[in-house]
Amino acid sequence: MKKKFLSVLLAGVMVVAMLTGCGGKSPASNGNTTAETTDGTQTQTQDAATAENTGAGDGAATKTDVAQTDLAYKGELELMHFSTSEESEGNGGSDGFRTVLADWQTVHPDVKLVERVMANDDYKTQIATLAAADDLPDVFLLQGMNTKAWAAQGLILDMTDIISKSPYAAQYDDSTYYPFTSEDKIYGLPALTGGTCAVVLYDSAKWKEAGFDTFPETWDDVLKAKDYFADQGIDTIAFGNGSKWQINSTFLATIGDRFTGSDWTHSLIEKKGAAFTDQSFADALKFTKDIFASGIFNADFNAISNEDAREYYISGDAAAYIGGNWDVSYIQATLKDTDLYDTTKFAVLPQPAGATASYKTHATGLGYAVAINSDVADDPDKLAAAVDFAYEATGPAFANYVATKYALGGLTKVENVDLSGFDQFTQDFYNYQYVDNKPCEIYDSYISSAVWDVLNTDLQSMLNGELTPEKVVANAQKAYEDNY
Amino acid sequence: MLSSIRPKNRVIFAYLILPIVLYVFAVFIPLVTAGFYSLFEWKGGPNKTFIGFENYVTLMKDSVFWKSFSHNIYLVIACIIGQIGLAFIFVLMINSRLVKLKGIHRTFGFFPSTVSAVAIGFIWTMVFDYKRGILNWFLDLIGKHDAIKVWLNESGLVMLLISLPLIWQFIGYYMVIILSAISSVDKEIFEVAEIDGANGFQRAIYIVLPLIKNTLLVCVTLCVAGNMKAFDHIFVMTAGGPGNASMVMALYGYKISFAQQNMGYGSAISIGIFITSLLVIGGSQLLVKLLSKDKGGDN
Repeated sequence: MKKKFLSVLLAGVMVVAMLTGCGGKSPASNGNTTAETTDGTQTQTQDAATAENTGAGDGAATKTDVAQTDLAYKGELELMHFSTSEESEGNGGSDGFRTVLADWQTVHPDVKLVERVMANDDYKTQIATLAAADDLPDVFLLQGMNTKAWAAQGLILDMTDIISKSPYAAQYDDSTYYPFTSEDKIYGLPALTGGTCAVVLYDSAKWKEAGFDTFPETWDDVLKAKDYFADQGIDTIAFGNGSKWQINSTFLATIGDRFTGSDWTHSLIEKKGAAFTDQSFADALKFTKDIFASGIFNADFNAISNEDAREYYISGDAAAYIGGNWDVSYIQATLKDTDLYDTTKFAVLPQPAGATASYKTHATGLGYAVAINSDVADDPDKLAAAVDFAYEATGPAFANYVATKYALGGLTKVENVDLSGFDQFTQDFYNYQYVDNKPCEIYDSYISSAVWDVLNTDLQSMLNGELTPEKVVANAQKAYEDNY
Repeated sequence: MLSSIRPKNRVIFAYLILPIVLYVFAVFIPLVTAGFYSLFEWKGGPNKTFIGFENYVTLMKDSVFWKSFSHNIYLVIACIIGQIGLAFIFVLMINSRLVKLKGIHRTFGFFPSTVSAVAIGFIWTMVFDYKRGILNWFLDLIGKHDAIKVWLNESGLVMLLISLPLIWQFIGYYMVIILSAISSVDKEIFEVAEIDGANGFQRAIYIVLPLIKNTLLVCVTLCVAGNMKAFDHIFVMTAGGPGNASMVMALYGYKISFAQQNMGYGSAISIGIFITSLLVIGGSQLLVKLLSKDKGGDN
């Protein structure tokens, strides 16, 4: 009898343990807690009721000037984003987003922000899966290329009116809406900071020795420097395309624009007749193939990631590096207080011979926007809270923080940013990104990941000489017609 | 006798219910739902359009899927030869009287199979690295500078290069299985063979091999099943690249479902993997049965 009782008890314990194990989403609700869930993401619950340390309520100590609006809503607001604490170290946009978020929570103690934070790669996969299951969180970051598909399926809230009624509407940079627009409606408030996706970082000291006072403005001149650097035993330019997206984001979007111009890109995005098979785009691919075969890049560019390639520059094994703003913030943090930090300068991608559609452009923009699940509109009070969060996370509180601390800009314009307090590196990069050069579209902020995945895979083969540019554009066009 | 200790049916049922529920939940339901979703065009978002078997028609014509399938078969063959073949030879070596510290050999041999595939992927990526890799360093050292390559960017070699870590990782696993099979064989048989003058090679082929045949066949099945679902270390080392030169079925299904957000076609690929794997495993079983019958006839 005793045995039987014991076995029933044990079986009961097992069942309970299994059920709670499967439960998964059970964020602890006492205090500010961070619970690691099985998939490696973090579920953070900032319970404002116990946030005495930040001094909840009116007159609370906040790092930014978040507006203290009155909200009727009391309860949870789900938020999913990718500004992890690791990411925010050195990345101004992430730091600004996290800071504003914490401040917003402080001034709105009745609203409990339930955060799901994960690294960007995981975020993209998870948010797409949640969208497929019609289970998007209340507030999240929308990537440009998902806008049209998700808007068509009614997953995301039309925010056109919300944006025009924003207290900060007069300060918004209207040019940032384009990736989040579908059929003249805007589906998000562009978030984080505008960052370039294509920049040449070069060691001005090395290039001076090679006979160039500044980085060459044409690729033909870059080729002239190749032999000099080869004699020094280093690569002219370091690049990493091991994960396949780099060639698209940090090279082709800009080089393509030089050949096709922005009208072609917009026509492709709006399905107004442009095709991947158009001669100008095919020319851009042909140029890309040839320049990567010319030997100015590190031999292993197709096998290593951008993280590996930038180490070649940091260690002095390459005289220049092509990457995006995320590489710049890493290189800046790593090189600080070295000679190379002082001699590192920025240049726009050189002009290819035969490309006449645009000059001195670089792919840049805001890749994500704060978007709201369309279901939230059912509860007007909750919607007001979500909208208030969206205003603050992209408004002056955020913009002033990132402008004064990092010399970065976002949706809300900040007039007369005082650069004098920043070192030369930061000033140069500010001028590169926002002053000296012209923006062009980031390809993979638009259209569909299915198209880019096909194109990127083929581009990698093309750079190995296994596919012709003609074949690559034909495959991309087919993927475009099938998926967009 | 037996029926007196046999528990009541409902007790057996009660014990089985948990694993069965788990199995149904974790294996059966996903399979059925994948089969269901594969009949839809479903590109992210809640909207799905019923398209019947169109995804399967696409799958039949999808050259990348069949290329991936051929890569899986390549892995299966490479690993049967590399993992089980080498494991068998290593076991014979360890079992030899000349070898000391058998326990240490066994432990260290088994060790790699306890390491996560992702970590192994990173380790071998470093081995093959162009500038800092030990392979190119060694080639440079012995004066073969011309042989230095960007190894993981060689379309023709990449499948061989990514099978190496897999083989290396699981030799120890099969070693342990084969060792236990040999240790269950009566020692006297080997002694008699030795007295009769059979050399090591003859003992291996004519005595050890027939006696542990059934264990080896289990190993082959495990190896086939394991390699039809290869994913993790390839994901880390090459992500299927360069181009699709090292793409395998599971990675392709993942790419289509999540990177391209094409859940409907991704589900069709999953079902495709399931069916092709069943066929390959079933085929290998059949082959194995035929082989064992032949041997039975000889005796």
